[in-house]
Parts: sequence; C-alpha cells; structure tokens
Amino acid sequence: MGIIKASKLIIDYITKDDEERVEDVNRAIDDVTLDIREGDFVGILGHNGSGKSTFAKSMNGILLPTEGTVWISGMDTADDASLWDIRRTVGMVFQNPDNQIIGNVVEEDVGFGPENLGVPTDEIWKRVDESLEAVGMTAYRLKSPNKLSGGQKQRVAIAGVMAMKPKCIVLDEPTAMLDPNGRKDVIRTITELNRQEKITVILITHYMEEVIHANRVVVMDDGKIVMDGTPRQVFSDVEKLKSYRLDVPQVTELAYELKCEGLDIPDGVLTIGELMDSLVPLMKAAGPLPAEKTAPEKTEDLPKKEEKTDEVPVLRTEKLTYVYGQGTAFEQDALKDVSFSVPHGQFVGLIGHTGSGKSTLIQHLNGLIRATTGKVFYNGKDIYEPGFDMKKLRSKVGLVFQYPEHQLFESDVFSDVCFGPKNQGLSQEEIEERAREALAMVGLDESFYKQSPFELSGGQKRRVAIAGVLAMQPEVLILDEPTAGLDPRGRDEILDQVNDLQDKKGMTVILVSHSMEDIAKYVDRIIVLDNGQKVYDDTPKNVFRHYRELESMGLSAPQVTYIVQGLKENGIPIDDSITTVQEAKSGILELLGKKTGTKC
Amino acid sequence: MLKDITLGQYYPVNSILHRLDPRTKLFGTLVFIVSLFFCNSWVAYAVATVFLIMVIKLSHVPFHFMVRGLKAVLFLLLISVVFNIFLTDGTVVFAIGPLKATREGLVLAAFMALRLVYLVVGSTVMTLTTTPNALTDGLEKSLGFLHFIGVPVHEIAMMMSIALRFIPILIEEADKIMKAQMARGADFESGNLITKAKAMVPLLVPLFISAFRRATDLAMAMEARCYHGGSGRTKMKPLKYRAADHTGYLILFLYLGIMLYLRIRPVRITL
Repeated sequence: MGIIKASKLIIDYITKDDEERVEDVNRAIDDVTLDIREGDFVGILGHNGSGKSTFAKSMNGILLPTEGTVWISGMDTADDASLWDIRRTVGMVFQNPDNQIIGNVVEEDVGFGPENLGVPTDEIWKRVDESLEAVGMTAYRLKSPNKLSGGQKQRVAIAGVMAMKPKCIVLDEPTAMLDPNGRKDVIRTITELNRQEKITVILITHYMEEVIHANRVVVMDDGKIVMDGTPRQVFSDVEKLKSYRLDVPQVTELAYELKCEGLDIPDGVLTIGELMDSLVPLMKAAGPLPAEKTAPEKTEDLPKKEEKTDEVPVLRTEKLTYVYGQGTAFEQDALKDVSFSVPHGQFVGLIGHTGSGKSTLIQHLNGLIRATTGKVFYNGKDIYEPGFDMKKLRSKVGLVFQYPEHQLFESDVFSDVCFGPKNQGLSQEEIEERAREALAMVGLDESFYKQSPFELSGGQKRRVAIAGVLAMQPEVLILDEPTAGLDPRGRDEILDQVNDLQDKKGMTVILVSHSMEDIAKYVDRIIVLDNGQKVYDDTPKNVFRHYRELESMGLSAPQVTYIVQGLKENGIPIDDSITTVQEAKSGILELLGKKTGTKC
Repeated sequence: MLKDITLGQYYPVNSILHRLDPRTKLFGTLVFIVSLFFCNSWVAYAVATVFLIMVIKLSHVPFHFMVRGLKAVLFLLLISVVFNIFLTDGTVVFAIGPLKATREGLVLAAFMALRLVYLVVGSTVMTLTTTPNALTDGLEKSLGFLHFIGVPVHEIAMMMSIALRFIPILIEEADKIMKAQMARGADFESGNLITKAKAMVPLLVPLFISAFRRATDLAMAMEARCYHGGSGRTKMKPLKYRAADHTGYLILFLYLGIMLYLRIRPVRITL
C-alpha cells in the first residue's frame, strides 16, 4: 500500500434548508480508487469543477468521505485519533497566496506549523532555517509577507508545510494566481523537493506544462478518474484531453497535428528537444530544402487602419508619465513618457512583467488615475480639459479589472449587469435592454437572469462581470488578465467571445495578458512595457522576433516561437515569423512539399 | 487613496527601549499612567517629566513623532483647560465678562493639561518602540491568568494578530473594488449623506464577501497546519526577560515609590 490510498471514495456536498432537510446532493467525487506510491510526483488535471480540489482536501482529513475510505500511511482519515498525525504527514498548499499565510513576518509564519505540533523552541528554529533554505527564501525571512510577490508567498507557504516534516505535499492549484515567473519558481521548488528531499508531491493544476516532469498524471472529470498514466501516455491522446476541457502544451499539439498529417513522429512529445530529435532528421531526409525564406522585418500586415492618417484614433496618449508616491521617499516612476495611439476597431495586446506599469497605464485610459504629466485623448478630446465628462469617459472606455467577479454585489445576475447603465442615468427600458444585450454577448441566456451571481461557476461569474461593463456600451473594452484562474476551455470561450466583439461589432479591444500564446493567437498589435516605458509597439510577429530581449525583461515568446528557432538552429530554413501552432504546421508541411488538410 | 492609512506606528530603530520585553513596556506604561493620577504637586510633575524625558531619550525616536498623537486630543485638552480655569472657585486673577479665572483654576488647568499630554506621549512611546506583534504577545502572556476565569486569552491574541495581517490586504482590496465600481460609473463622492451611504453598498457587499471567503480559506489553511487552539502549543519566539528588563522593573518600582511618597508627603513649593 502506498502513502495515499483511496478506495471507492465518494464525497457528496449536501445542501440543507433551514429545517435540516436535504435540499440537494451534489456528488463531487464518484467512486475513486487510487494508490500513490511514496516518492512519486503525481499531477492531477481536470477542469474547474471536476472534483480535483475536493479530492485534495480529502487527503488530509479536511473533508471526510461520504462513502469509501482514504488511508494515509495506513491511517484512516475518518479516524479522529490520528487526525493530527495525518495532517503532519500530508501538508497542503492552497491556491490563494494571501489567504494561507498567518504570520506577520515570514519566519514566524514558517514556524506556525511546528508551534502547533508542540516542537521545542530550538528545534523550531532549526526547522525554519532548513525549510526557508529549501525553498530559497532565506533572504526574506524578516520581511512582512505583504511585501512579497505572489510566487514568493507561495514558496513561504511551501516552507511552512516543509517545517512540519511531512512525507507528502498536496498542492491545490498553487500557481493559478501567479505570473509566469512566479509559476516557474514554484514549480522548480516543488520539483527540487521531490528529487532532493524525496517528498511525495501531488500537484493539482490546469497548466499542462507544469506536469510534464511528473511520474504520473491523473485526469479527473465529473468526479471520476478518466485517465491515468505517465505524462507521455496521457498527452498522446490530445482529442480526449480536449474533450475534458483541457489542453496540451503547444509542442505536444504541433507534434500531434504533424503526426496526423502522416509524419513519423512518436506519440506524446513533451519537450521541444524531443520534437527536434524526430522532426529534424525527418526534414533533412526529405531532400534538398527550398532556400531560406525570411519574412521582411518591415511589416506587410501592420494594422492598415493606421495608414488612414485623417482618422482620429479612439485613444491616444502623449508622453504619459505617472510618478508614484510623489514627494515621499518612495517616489518612483510607474510610467515614463508613454505615447501611443489606438485606432478604432483594433485588437491590442499589452504585455509586461508584474510591476511594469500595465495596470497603471490602463487606469489612465479611463481617467481612474490622473497622469503626473502628459495627456490622454479620447476621440481627439483632451480628457484633462476642464469640463470633460469623466463619467461618460468611463462608460465609453470600459475597463474589466482582474478577477472582475469580485466586484459583483447584487442578489441576481440581471440587476448586477444593470448597475452600469443605471449609473449612466438611462430609462428603465433602456437599462434592461442593454443588460439583455450584454448578457447575450457573453453567452448567458434568460435562465441565468434571476440566479444569484454567487452560485455560478467561476467562468460564468466572470462572464457576468464582463457583461456588467459591456452593458454600458463602451467603444473600447480593456481587459486585465480576463482568463486568470480559468481552465483551458473556459479561457478559450472568454477570448473567443471577446474576439467576436472586436470582429463583428467593431469594438476596440485592449487585452492585458501574461499568456504569450493567447496574445499571439488573437491580437493585431502588441505594446510591450518594461519599467514603465514602452519598449516595443508592433505586430506580434515582429515583437516575438525579439524573444531574447523579451526574456531579459522577464517575458517570453509563445512556445511555437522557440520551436521555430530550434528548427532554424538545426539548419531548417523555416519562416521565423511564425507565432501560432497552425502556422507552424503549414510552414513545416510546405517545406516538406505536403499539403495540409487531412484531419485525424 | 485608502492605501495611505498606516496601521500601528512602530518606528524601527534599535534602541534599548525597543529591545525590552513587551511585558516590561506594558507594565511601565501602566505604572506611568497610574502615577499621573497620583500627581498633585509641582514636584511630582517634575519627577514625572524627568522620567518621561529619560524614556524618550532612550527610545532614539525623533521627538516630533511623540507629539503627533497630541493632535487627536487637542480639542479635549482645550475644553478641559478652559473649564478648569473658569469654573474653579478661589481667588480671582482676572475676569472676562461674567467668567472669572481663579488662581486655583489656573493651577488645576495646568495639572490637567500636563496629565493629558503625558498620558498620550507616554503610551505613544510604547507603540513607537513595540511592534504590534510583540504587543500582542506581551498582552497574551501578561493577561494569561485571565484564562483561568474563562477568558479566551490565546484566541483573542490570535485574532488580533490575524487582524493585523489582513487589514492592509483588505484596505488594498477595498481600493480595487472602489475603482472597479467607478469604472462602471459608480460615484462615491457627490450627493448628500443618504446618497453617499447608498453608494457604499456596491463597495461593502463585495468587501464583506471577500472577507468571509478569506476567513474560510485561512481557517482551512490553519487547520491543515495542525492548529488546534492554544493548548500544547510551543513558541518559536517565547518571551524571555533579560538583564535590561530586570533593571527596567527596578527603575519602575523606584519611580512608583517616589511618586507614592510625594503623594503621601507632598513637598510643596509655593509660587
């Protein structure tokens, strides 16, 4: 028997009414049997609501089985007497970095677990030292957790668990709220703990690239285990994964698509190196390749609309500078001389690492923050002119903040969406008309109108919140990380809807995102911010060509860009302006003299 | 906006006063406050003044930080001074219309003012030299005996320390929600009191929901880390008295002794 063993596990969430009568039974875990060996690194995948978090919470007695049994090192979780031994054996790290840190100083937080276990003071200090060292946070031991980045907070949380000397760590979507760099740090830390300290790791996530180093991947859907195997086995069935609302890394998807076209590529390719190993000989063997074709640096497809110089751009900034904490010791330029203009109907991507000034910039565009110097023009009008109607600007430049569902407050979906139009002072009929339209735009029908927004799923809540901004009928829609925390399908649904708004309704969209893959797939133009300054402003192809410079700013390019670069380094003359999987696929097939079209 | 509010006014320097055990400082503050209520002579106030100046010198905190807290009680100070001057019977010194200022009133007013100022400055010294955490620890330990009469001292201290951790987070969150609602056209500034109160609903409801969500998460995280109340718990940083604390207590008792003596055998200096 392994360290964690679940047998015929069933967990029901039971809703009761005021008189303790059962109203509703929701089966979150349905007959799960699983045995995890000590020392393994297990990835558990599944879409939002698939039961994976519930399963995690059953592993240390936070949730108890409705039926069936969970054993931890031979101890039954339902047995009260061994509860503290179980929790000491299986440590847990949760999703939200802020909500699991108890101490006001990093080292005190790490000591919290051992204090609860009654460990003697000297031993606590030793464990705190060792745990902070293991996660690489020793330098921050005397800092306040509030001063750390998300990734650093999660590493402190991991150290807090390590200090209890567990045999196993369960991490419940630890990277969902982090930026790419924080995510990398956390995953590296977990991998090291598994390899060096021999800790059993159970990582729950919906970022596929995080589990390629696992020994075993388990896929859950609807409370059941639907796939179980090595990452290679699981990732070789791309269609099946997609049917569970999941996704695969771009390299796996490209390999799969090429295999479908009849190329001799193995199943379940996980890394760029593996793809190179099979693709490069194959392409070289295909005989002499056509001469190198490099797309010209200057842009044939730069947004044509900019050429019409007589058209007034919907938004324009002129040497926008914002000084944070002016006149104090903490004075800092959050934005410096940022100028750009956005023509009507463009889809703009705004990228930059955390703290580069993206959020500050977008709040200037609807007047929530006033620039220290510089100007903002909306349809040619200076918004800082006396008498300019700020309230109107905010309805015309709609801003959807990160995690917008946290601003919902009405008791039903429909009234919440009406809040914006109501503030515009419209008539009741007009308000309702706009709310209905906005909800239709995000794909929510009348059956949702009277529901409480707090009882919807994460993706639905987010769409209600976006509808709340759309109901004001903005000309420009700005979205700050609209897909954070959603599963792959949820992410695609939201972005497709936004794309439709831009495509069909001609709305101007500014998308702030950390996901280069999403940016490359949707936008016409990318603006890159670094340290408050605009560094690049060009088409995705031209911006991602600078992938090395982007890396030095803490950013990256889509994985496809790296695949294409890998091919080039191996002497394959592929067009290096490729940024999406489909382009890469046709580029490779073209070089091989094949036509696309055959579908698996 | 809301972010500018800072909590606790700890001033980080490394002075002997900063290094003292929080219990010593709590006891010291108590002794000082009690002694102020003994004071009824100029000599006694002189002793208190010397004591306070000595403590301030030891703290290495710039003086203007000490008196910042006085702004809050300025109004109260003025009222009590005025009332004391004009409403005490005795030898009239001068009169403004029907209001007669007496000699006794002037003395009493001066005593009252000094008492109030010293009270504020004295407790400010403590909060400036003690981190909120140490203060919580000190309170938990000093009031530990209340546990025996059923006061959940450990739990209250834990709640205080969690509040200290989450207040900045919630303030930031309030700021964010406020901006998000302003982006939807909400107006938090104009209108009369009732309109303003109504305008707060879209801010307060999400804020409460978020606070509850955080509380649930935190409770789960604490349980997962084997928290089960104060019993059987050890401390990473147990409070321990050092030589300086012993000296501190000695000085405090000496000071209290002098003040008591001055109360029983007042040394009067006639003005």
